[in-house]
Parts: sequence; structure tokens; C-alpha cells
Amino acid sequence: MALSLSPSLLGGVSLALGCCLGFAVQAQSTTPQPGQVQPAPAPPAPSQQPTLSQSAQPQPAHAEIPALQATAPSPDAPDPSLSPECRVPGSKLYTLAKLKAVKKALREHRAVQVLTIGSNSGGLGTAATYPVRLEDALTRSLPDIDVTVESRGVSGEIAFGAAERLRNQVAEIEPDLVVWQVGGNDALARVDIEDFSQSLAETVAWIKSHGIDVVLVDPQYTASLAKDDYYRQFVQAIQKVAEREQVPLVQRYEAMRYLAGRAISALKGGDTAQAGAGFRLADLGYRCMAEHVTRAITVSLLQPDVAPVPVASPVPAN
Amino acid sequence: MREPNAVDFWRGIALITIFINHIPGNVFQNYTYSQYGISDAAELFVFLAGWSIGIATRGRDGVPEPAPRTVLRLLSRMVEVYRAQLVITAMALAMLAGAALALDNPLLVEWHNAGPVFSDPIQATVGWVTLLHQLGFFNILPLYVVLLGLAPVFVLLSRIHLGLAIGISVLLYAVSLVFAINIPSWPVEGHWFFNPLCWQLLLVLGFAAHEWRRSSERFLAWRRRLMPLGIAIVIVGAVLSWFNLRPDPLAVPEPRLLFIFDKSYLSPARLIHFLGVLLAFQTVFGLVQPRARWLTRQLAGLGRNSLAVFSVGSVASLGAQLIRFWTGGGFATDVFVVGCGLASLSFTAWFVEWRSRSPRPSSAA
Repeated sequence: MALSLSPSLLGGVSLALGCCLGFAVQAQSTTPQPGQVQPAPAPPAPSQQPTLSQSAQPQPAHAEIPALQATAPSPDAPDPSLSPECRVPGSKLYTLAKLKAVKKALREHRAVQVLTIGSNSGGLGTAATYPVRLEDALTRSLPDIDVTVESRGVSGEIAFGAAERLRNQVAEIEPDLVVWQVGGNDALARVDIEDFSQSLAETVAWIKSHGIDVVLVDPQYTASLAKDDYYRQFVQAIQKVAEREQVPLVQRYEAMRYLAGRAISALKGGDTAQAGAGFRLADLGYRCMAEHVTRAITVSLLQPDVAPVPVASPVPAN
Repeated sequence: MREPNAVDFWRGIALITIFINHIPGNVFQNYTYSQYGISDAAELFVFLAGWSIGIATRGRDGVPEPAPRTVLRLLSRMVEVYRAQLVITAMALAMLAGAALALDNPLLVEWHNAGPVFSDPIQATVGWVTLLHQLGFFNILPLYVVLLGLAPVFVLLSRIHLGLAIGISVLLYAVSLVFAINIPSWPVEGHWFFNPLCWQLLLVLGFAAHEWRRSSERFLAWRRRLMPLGIAIVIVGAVLSWFNLRPDPLAVPEPRLLFIFDKSYLSPARLIHFLGVLLAFQTVFGLVQPRARWLTRQLAGLGRNSLAVFSVGSVASLGAQLIRFWTGGGFATDVFVVGCGLASLSFTAWFVEWRSRSPRPSSAA
């Protein structure tokens, strides 16, 4: 009953979004401001080059990857390379780390194989699933490189056996990069956060130890869980693991919270608690995921090879 | 209503273990035997199903029933299990959706692979009704459906020679392991959680064990003699499990499924461990029954009505998970949900038998 309106609304959103998505990635060549700083960490900013392929100056870290079409955006302004619905500042969207295996594949002009773990939803009623959209978006960001995306759902909890099955799936596919939507099942099952963190850290370390990159995607934000302490601590635990294990993290929780806040201010005090609002936000989260993940990957690829990057992860506030 | 026996007793234990393990994170999970070995209750359940097929396909006098009757019996059981799977999956989907609405929490419709049913209903409806899309924890009955479909072949082969049935079963298992053959899932990429092409071996072994037990004195003698080996395997399994020692799936040689511990493909390590468990615990029923008659009666009651009890258990464990999520969990919640769940399993077993005794005729589960 409460959701009876949403299919038509979503249809509208889907049309609008479909158009936007078409332009989204091509429209990313906004010239960065001089002196612009990279998001979350602050390493030497490679921000003066509009795209890496046009890089004229000797930039040893990047010059070897001719194909990468990305610029480092400003951390605090909404990232203009994202489609309007999905526009979130970099500082709320990701924490970065190096992606050595993908970078190596790019240098060698080798095909990049990506394995996505978790839901493959691309949003209600959309033509393409998330893995298809991700493949699309990555192919556009990395022209000349063959990107293939395989996906696997994972049932069960990381703390109780799912991590084991994930290892077997990784071994089955042997990808260059694992993009892992992590923690949803564990958070809903309210498993012990310590146990979860430990399993997650071990699994991430294991994947990395085999020369495979990992990008983590933390669970979704929804208003009814905004005041749930357990859930917030859970999201923070994932950030800590990402930081400790030096892997990029797509902060879906933070990004969706930002998008939710924007939606509320856009309504200017209208009925924000309307039924189904959470469902529409969740849907938007799925629609944006491919873009958000692609952005985190391309910006992570801009990370210089030298010196480990201290990741200052913003912790979700109240 | 048959008297308590070892098969029903162990099946009752498997049902309770599966129920508790399907409420991840609850405190009682640490006390199920699945935490102390490489294999778990699923193996026990499938093995006992094979054993039961051995019993069911012979008359009371021990003479094998006519082949057409056996085929029809197994296929009608298959239809019954399929029907149960559809009913519990539909209930689970409604529970997740209902909870998502009630708690205004869209994350719940994504839980346990339910997402595609709501976000991509056209494909996913075809998927779940054809068993190609399975919800997390609702993946044992699809295995059963396929196993019951395969069972007539093995039962009839065994009437030519038991060795022939076992040989073909082992061959199918080995080929599936070496070439990693499994039924694909759809619309989500991936494979079945329980690979029937591998798990059929346990069913056939259960069936064969029953046949041997009927006809061979030597089987009983060897079963006793191998008990120390079984105990040794159980101890090794407990140590491996306790210290979380397992082969690295990216470091083992090809074909890697022979070496890793994998539940989907019932990798050899799990199979060996399970056979060890069987050998080690073979005398337990005989020891427990005279000392705890009420307990054995209860457990055997669950085992006698396993399909109904399993179905109610599946739905109850999802309900328990939702309650744990809603309340935030904790010891008191766990005691409450597991207690209510066990009571509902027990009631189901009683109810099914009451219904089959009552005047109105209904199919016995």
C-alpha cells in the first residue's frame, strides 16, 4: 500500500536518469582548479592534467598508463563528473588506496577482469544490471582497455563461512580486481562486529596477498537505521579495515546519506517522511553504484606509486 | 507411527542443527557440531535421505518393490518437495518484504539474495519458480528435488548390481569435481549452493549403506572395526576447524576442487570427514535411547516428519533472524527465538501425525 506510488515515480526517475547516464561519463572533462587537492588523503596532487592521456609533463606515476580518462576532483564540492542524481563530493564518496594489479594490467595493455561480489541490482526496472553498468562505465573510463565484469552473489555471513566461499569464488575466477559490497548480510544478522572485522580483514589480506586488488563498498544508508548505533559502528568497522588493509572504500553509506540530505533540502520542508522515501533512496543508491565505484577506481588509479598513502577516513557522524 | 530409530533420531538432530545454524550469530550456534568439524548437518541430512530411500523402496518383507512403483514413489516425493520449496520461498519473500515495509527498511528486501525478485521481478520470478534462483538458506530443498529426480536411476541400477550404482555415482562426482560442473543460477550469475551432481554421491552412499546393512554381516563388523579411524578423523577435523586451518584455494594445484574445503561441491575433505563422523558416532543412539527416552522420542518425531519440520524450520529461522534484527539481538532474544522455534518444530511433528491419524484423510508427509 505504502509503495503503491513508487513504480510510476521510479519510472520517471529511471527515464531522467537514463538520459543523464548517457552523458555522465563523457561530461567529466571539467578543468580542475589549480591548487586543487586530492580527496581524503593529500598526496602530491596530480590535478593539473585534465586527463592523463593528455599528460605532457613527465609524470612517472601516471604517464605509463596512457588510457586512463580521469581527473582528480575537489574533495568537498559535488563531483561534477557524476550524473546529477548521483553527484556527491569525493570526500563523502571514497577513501583511496593504490590498485597495483589493475595498474599493472593497464601498463601491460592487458584485459582487466573484475569480479563484483554482492547484489547485482542496477535499480528498479532498469535495463542494465549493476555489473553491466560497471563494465560500461569502466570501459568508458579506460578506453583501449578490455574490461570484463563477472558477478557473484554471496549468501550468508562473512563471519560464518561466507568468507570461505568468497575465497573459492575468487580462486575460480582469478580476477585482477574484486569489488566487494560487504557487510549487508552480517549487519542484518547483527553478528559480533569484532568477529566480522576480523574475518573481513583476513579475507581482504588474503586476496591482496595473491596480487589481486580489492575495492570495498560499505552497506547502504537508510533513514530508519540512521540512529542505530550497531549499524553505524558496523560501517565504521569496515572503514577501519579498509584503512588498515590499504584498500579503496566506496562509502556508500556516507554518499547515500548525503543524497538523502540533498533530497530533503530540495523539498524545502515538505513532507520528507513520506512513505517509501527510504525505498526510493535505496533504488537511487543502486542506480548510482556503478558510477560511484568507477569513480573510486579511476581516482585510486591516480594514486602515485611511491610512498604508502595514509588514508584519513571520515567517520560517519551522527 | 514407527518407534524411535537411529535414522529418525539423527535426522531430528540434523533438523535442529540446521534450524539453529540458519539463525547466524545466535549464541546457540557455537554449540552445534557444525562448528567443530569440516562437514555439517547438511551431509547428515542427505545421507539419511539415501538410507530412507533404501527402506522405502522395499516392502515390509524386504523384497524390492516393482520398478514402476519405485519410480512413481520417488517422483511423487520429488513433487512434494518441490511444492514445499515453492511455499517456503514465497513465504520468505513475503516476510522480507513485509518486514521491510513495517520497519521502513529497504535493506531487508535485499537480504538473502531476495533483491532480484523485487528489483528484477520478470526474470527472477522465472528463476525462483524453476529453482534457478535460490534464497540464502533456502537452498537445501532444490538439491533434494534434483536428488529425488536422480534417485530412481540409482535405485534401479542397484538392482542390477549395487556396485554399478556406486560406480556411476562416484564417476559423476569425480567428473563434476575435476571439471567444476555445477548447475548455474539465474538470473544472478553463479552456481547452485549445493551442487546436486556432487551431492548425489552422499545419497547413493546412504542408500548403499542401508543395503549393505541388510545383507552383509561383514558390514557391521567393519563398521565397528573402523570406529577408531572415525574418531581420529573427527579429532583432526575439530583441530582444523578450531584453528581455522584450511588449504588456500589459490595455492592448491589443479583441479583445485579436489583439495580445497568446499561445501557446494562436497569436496573430498568434507566427504571423508563426514564418513569419519558416521563411524565415530555410530553407537550413540544405542547409548542414548535407554537413558533419555523422552529426548529420543522427540528427536525421532522430528525426523519422521522431516519435510514438514524442515519447511517450518526454514520459515521460523528467517522469522528469528528478522526478530533478532529488529530487537538488536542479545542473549534473551536468542533464548526466546530459538526456544519458540524448537517448540514450533516439535508442534509441527505432532500436528502432522495428528492430522494423518484424524478422520479427514490427508497425505502423510
